[in-house]
Amino acid sequence: MFGWIGNVLRVNLTDGTFRREDLKEDAARDYLGARGLGTRYFIDETDPAMDPLSPENKLLFVTGPLTGTLATSAGRFNVVTKSPLTGAIAASNSGGYWGPELKFAGWDMIILEGKAPKPVYLFLYNDRVELRNASALWGKNTHETTDLLLAETDPEAKVACIGPAGENGVLLANIINDKHRAPGRGGVGAVMGSKNLKAVVVRGTKGVRVADREAFLDAVKRARAKLAAHPVTSGGLPLYGTNVLVNILNQSGALPTRNFQTGIFDGADRTGGETQRDTRLHRNKGCFGCTIGCGRVSFAEAPFTGEGEGPEYESTWSFGADCGVDDIDAIAKANYLCNELGMDTISLGSTIACAMELYEKGHVDRETVGYDLHFGNAAAMVALVEEAASGKGFGGLLGQGSWRLAKHFGHPELSMSVKKQEMPAYDPRSIQGIGLNYATSNRGGCHVRGYLISPEILGVPEKLDPQSVAEKPAWAKIFQDLTAAVDSAGLCLFTTFGIGGEEIAAQLAAATGEPYTAESILKAGERIWNMERLFNLNAGLSGEDDTLPPRLLETPMPEGPHKGSVSRVPEMLPRYYQARGWDDEGIPTPEKLRELGLA
Amino acid sequence: MEVLFFATIRNLTGEKELRVARAATVRTVRALLELLATRYGERFRRKVLDENGDPSPELIVLVNGHHIAHLDGGDTPLAETDRISLFPVIGGG
Repeated sequence: MFGWIGNVLRVNLTDGTFRREDLKEDAARDYLGARGLGTRYFIDETDPAMDPLSPENKLLFVTGPLTGTLATSAGRFNVVTKSPLTGAIAASNSGGYWGPELKFAGWDMIILEGKAPKPVYLFLYNDRVELRNASALWGKNTHETTDLLLAETDPEAKVACIGPAGENGVLLANIINDKHRAPGRGGVGAVMGSKNLKAVVVRGTKGVRVADREAFLDAVKRARAKLAAHPVTSGGLPLYGTNVLVNILNQSGALPTRNFQTGIFDGADRTGGETQRDTRLHRNKGCFGCTIGCGRVSFAEAPFTGEGEGPEYESTWSFGADCGVDDIDAIAKANYLCNELGMDTISLGSTIACAMELYEKGHVDRETVGYDLHFGNAAAMVALVEEAASGKGFGGLLGQGSWRLAKHFGHPELSMSVKKQEMPAYDPRSIQGIGLNYATSNRGGCHVRGYLISPEILGVPEKLDPQSVAEKPAWAKIFQDLTAAVDSAGLCLFTTFGIGGEEIAAQLAAATGEPYTAESILKAGERIWNMERLFNLNAGLSGEDDTLPPRLLETPMPEGPHKGSVSRVPEMLPRYYQARGWDDEGIPTPEKLRELGLA
Repeated sequence: MEVLFFATIRNLTGEKELRVARAATVRTVRALLELLATRYGERFRRKVLDENGDPSPELIVLVNGHHIAHLDGGDTPLAETDRISLFPVIGGG
């Protein structure tokens, strides 16, 4: 095979056995790789009703056909499993260097099954496979773990591991690769911890073959030229990182503040990308093969002294505006701690914001929390990040996410989540399309399943009025389908600011030798979306879960440009189902499934 | 009116914000950008105005939080109490 390596590694953690399998070529062609192909394998092998933290759940690390090639920003891989946070499918995407290294070792995918009797880590050196004792690593944070494993294996290896949060069953736990990158959402780290798997360490010395070298290089050059010419991918992102969004979302009245109570935060500029660049930045950094380089190598000053990477926009928002905190050092510290302890910054920041509102409204007292947890208490916020990873006491409740926290105290309506996963940094009352995307995202509250902020706020590729609703269902479908294809190819979603389906298909076709077109990859994306939907329906979710918290549907935005607006998801949803070819209850019709080859 | 500068636009102005008294000549966004170009120089002008003197497609102009593409573009009228925010085309997420 070209693009794909053709090798799947299946590891049974229960008995410590493993074997190589041929990659299913038909499935690879139809589902591309990474998110799509991994989910295809996962669904074919698991019972959707299973307990996500039981040994029956599987954990897949999956690359795409372009991962590790010279294609535009092709450093991505996905972790696929059933989410313990949502009960839905989790396909969690990460950059860095780990994914390409897996390809260089000669593998497209690792399927991890069962549960190890004691802590282990998996070490791959090309086709050499070893399960090694990780008892000495249990309890170590992700940075300590990475350093120890590099010393023990190979200094050139790449490490994906969990921190204490994943070991302790924290539902917001993620996996950290290359110390600072994360398959972050859905609690994939808790699944890894439930399997007693501390890390997957990979070292590869091979390459990735492409079908038509000349056509591939030509396609890559054309796509890279577009990225180099586009102001977002050549200007804003490398200069300011994703944090450049703080001010425009705030000026647009859409920066969720104090647990989505309003959309304007007075301290926004003190936390944004401009301030970060001027005062707290060492340098920017790119993932494998990336010409954009949006990563931030940064530091925080006393009393929250620290160093690390980030915070990204979403993390700056969750620990910043959403918690009413305008201290850039506290925000960075919370972000660094999340990376070291192995937790999702979006969900944890939003969960602390939920706790702050519970506290201010008198639903939880100081004795229970241990702090004066008013919005804006930066020190308490940072302390609670560490406590959340412990899985104990009030921190243990935080680690279960905002929905379970708020329900515990009798007020689930104060959880700003969809399908029990916290929404990111855009208020759906001020931006209608992103609300529809949140409500219908297959993995719960998530912005990177269909990033309608791009046309609704940033004007790319077109300018859509954020308050209009008529065209949003069709746009949501196209964005969701294209994103599924991009994720599955192994490319970074940020490339789509500068390139589109034509450039992506050209790179895919030349790399794999398959006749992909812009139209056919969009169809693959639609196939992937519907496949994920079917898993969720079989896991017990329904159209009733395609909604937003009542605050966003009923309580008008209190101030700013969109004062008086509520989310109009209920109005858009039937037309979204129609655009998808689903019935009135959000179930894909037999005709649609036949069309997509899913019947 | 209050004019706010962000990202690379802020680099060109060297300041975060500017108070502009609404003189008779500053009735629209286009007129405001022309006034600002006079103040901040040629590099700023090239960034914010196209060859026809219209707002550059690489500029995001918000008037009271609303993109001028959904108002009247360069002809969007301005009032004394308005807040105008200028951004380059940016992205992230």
